[in-house]
Amino acid sequence: MAAPAAQTIRPATWPASVVTAALAMAVIAWSALPLHTGGAGTRITLIFTIAVTVLSIGRLAVVAVPRLADRELSGFGERVAETLLDFLRMAQWAEGVVVGALVLEALHPSPPWHTAVLGIALLAYLLAVNLAETRARPRVLRAQLPVLAAGCGLLALAVGAAYLPALPSGASSALILTVAIIATAVIAAMSVPGTWRGGR
Amino acid sequence: MPDRLDDIPARQLPVSWAVSAHARLLLTLALTGLALAVLTRRPEFAGVAAPPLLLLATRRRDRPAQVSLRLGATAGPVTEGEVVALSAQIEGHRGYDIEFEIVPAAQVAAGPAVTAPPSYDSAQIRLWYQPQRWGFRPAGTLVLTLRDAARLSEGTLDVELPRLECLPRPARMTAPIVLSRLPSRLGEHSARAVGEGAEFAGVRAYVPGDRQRRINWPATTRHGTIYLSTFAAERTQNVVIIADTTTDIGDPGQSTTDLVLRGAAGAITAYVASRDRVGLINFGAGISWIPPGHGRRHAARLMTVLLRDTRSAERSDAVMRLPRAALPPGALILVFSPMIGRRIIEAVRDLRERGFTVLVIDVLASPPELGKGTVTSLAIRVWQLEQQAMRFSLEQLGVPVVRWDGTTSLDDPLAPYTRRAMVVR
Repeated sequence: MAAPAAQTIRPATWPASVVTAALAMAVIAWSALPLHTGGAGTRITLIFTIAVTVLSIGRLAVVAVPRLADRELSGFGERVAETLLDFLRMAQWAEGVVVGALVLEALHPSPPWHTAVLGIALLAYLLAVNLAETRARPRVLRAQLPVLAAGCGLLALAVGAAYLPALPSGASSALILTVAIIATAVIAAMSVPGTWRGGR
Repeated sequence: MPDRLDDIPARQLPVSWAVSAHARLLLTLALTGLALAVLTRRPEFAGVAAPPLLLLATRRRDRPAQVSLRLGATAGPVTEGEVVALSAQIEGHRGYDIEFEIVPAAQVAAGPAVTAPPSYDSAQIRLWYQPQRWGFRPAGTLVLTLRDAARLSEGTLDVELPRLECLPRPARMTAPIVLSRLPSRLGEHSARAVGEGAEFAGVRAYVPGDRQRRINWPATTRHGTIYLSTFAAERTQNVVIIADTTTDIGDPGQSTTDLVLRGAAGAITAYVASRDRVGLINFGAGISWIPPGHGRRHAARLMTVLLRDTRSAERSDAVMRLPRAALPPGALILVFSPMIGRRIIEAVRDLRERGFTVLVIDVLASPPELGKGTVTSLAIRVWQLEQQAMRFSLEQLGVPVVRWDGTTSLDDPLAPYTRRAMVVR
């Protein structure tokens, strides 16, 4: 079998940045709309979330911009630009996006499946942020797929548990509970490192 | 560069580990989900925390404290604009993903890395960088980042690259100037004197003792007596190049010092290639020189002197005359200079008065930009008149001044002096 060809690392970052920005906007729209059903503090949370989203996209856009070599000898405009870039690089703004989106979701009386979709979208957003910041290819996530699948299974279980109080008590409820416990055990076993080949 | 990286001794380098930004983001998502699940009593928020918590649970503990690195870089001087290849082999990383990146120093450009398919405990990579400007300068830092499969831990390792000795890019010069009177040393230029060269010089009558193989049969038949062919002697010439780096005007990369060094490097390369004896005087804040010699090793020494910082050398304002040891009699002297400082003009005059054949290559392509205004334009006008007067006085002394802007080859401005031997007066 022929040896695989050598590869060039660190490709362009813009596709990952575009995907990240699209995911961020989708997450905000999913958690904030409709606005009128939100509780007190929805609007201020939405403004905060949009602000940190803009900052996080800005941070991704300047990942490839090198730092100023000699600030003291630079012009006024360059120093102002460098100060703005330092502000963008100062914090991990994506943390704000995560907190803001989840709080917006909590302020809305949404069904459990709605929150589960948001959780998966937030996870995808965080993985996209990581790919964009480290300028890595999506295939580096291949090793995490079993763990991600197990996590999504647990998320599905949690959604199911949220629907349990609405079920009538009796034998059917006990059966669902038993199935849930077995599924939890299987998913937990799947997530232990080494259980899956190639999961290193 | 050694052919095989295995021939280079490995260095054990410590890796500094930290929790990655990705792990912190996952932790934020998990903690926020759990907190909201408790506060709102909605179990689906706890479900949101499940995937990130599972990912965090896969964090590896067997992180290598140090790795072994072999670094193979091009040894010796490089020319500005030349691509320098760098090979690196890392071992002992225990299957962690490795990312290589060169953080280039100032005036150095770095390219992407090309990695060979890695194995569990060994990875090899090839990178390149390109010095943009001459000088002794740091090349930059090779940064290695190790990440586990879940990208939760990050280990970093910085390795200083070998310092660069970057020579100026030689200007193109294919036709060197040759003097009409050459010293009696064996070389490759045809002299006026008769000798043992290959170029036909004329015929003369036979005298006893002459070699029969030199008989010129057409002339012998015509005259009825034996005539011999004579040939021109092949001589070398002494060339001394003066690089004036006292002033530096213009943008980095195209400044007068850049042009002086590139022109001087081009002249050195051309004259060494034609087997002439080449010397150098680096005329900067101080003066350093190397007397004429020939050969590739001598050319390498000349380039080193050309790049050397002359501040530690003898102060040029303390040297009344240029050193006699660097100036053999009858040498051709090429001066690369912006012709701004008074000292270099006095030095050129002094050389001419001492009987040397001097040619000045003026590298100041444009007048200084001082802004607009009546007084400024007047000052520039006065300065230009001074420059014209200086050139006129030098030409009256028999010192030609040619302009070179660095964009063309040196052959263009020197064409009037390369078509025939430059007459020594």
